[in-house]
Amino acid sequence: MDALSALKMMAGSQVGGVQNAVSATTATTTQAIPAIELQQLNTDVPVQATQAASSTSGAGFDNLLGNLVNEVSQKQTAASDTVSGLLSGKNVSLHQAMISMEEANISFQMMVEVRNKLLDSYQELMRMQV
Amino acid sequence: MINVLSGIDSTASALDAERVRMDVISQNIANVNTTRGLDGKPYQRQEVVFENVLKAQQSSLDSNLVSGSSPEMVQIARIQKDNRPARMVYNPGSPDADAHGMVAMPDINIHEEMVDMIASSRSYEANLAVAKNAHSIAMQALSIGKH
Repeated sequence: MDALSALKMMAGSQVGGVQNAVSATTATTTQAIPAIELQQLNTDVPVQATQAASSTSGAGFDNLLGNLVNEVSQKQTAASDTVSGLLSGKNVSLHQAMISMEEANISFQMMVEVRNKLLDSYQELMRMQV
Repeated sequence: MINVLSGIDSTASALDAERVRMDVISQNIANVNTTRGLDGKPYQRQEVVFENVLKAQQSSLDSNLVSGSSPEMVQIARIQKDNRPARMVYNPGSPDADAHGMVAMPDINIHEEMVDMIASSRSYEANLAVAKNAHSIAMQALSIGKH
């Protein structure tokens, strides 16, 4: 069993515990994307955890992270596009520029949080006594 | 596309619509004494008409379909002219006066325009409050699990 799949098993159990709280928050917001990601994780992980010995090296979670980084980068590009449109006198209003910058900011912070969590659990694993 | 600020779409469209409304009101106030418009007649007061549009019509396959509902947005349906008749003012010195010395002035009530402007700016403020709230919800959600 490689480190990634162990990490995914841990993530699976944590996600399962958090699921109730997340569903309570999504009941009020109805659009929380993190919930969808968590559901994907939740459906992925038990299957792969049972087949941990198989050769699949966690392409699903890698893809998920890659997509996250791509989307954050897209949001940054969109924000800089609207700001340059505003500054060059195109038909972009001030609040559009501010909202897109804020979206880019928040999604970047979310990406940093995900990375922090991953790194934390990795270091937790590395500290484990054998 | 991930949706970090949920509910921001309809708010942004409302902010856009209120900006246009404010532009039209300022146009009305600026032309309160215009006796000769583009067509040679006095300026006609203008008004915006808002209409409701579904976000799904703009981007059909998006993450909004996950929640089963798509946000309803505001947009400007049209900017229409008010059909009030011109106000006749006695001013024989004006170059636009008719044979009796009467000048046709636009029938714009400056108080009415000011009240419209207050309403517009208040609803802009309300939508900004929604945006601020969405932002603080997102920041609070990001702080889940922090010490």
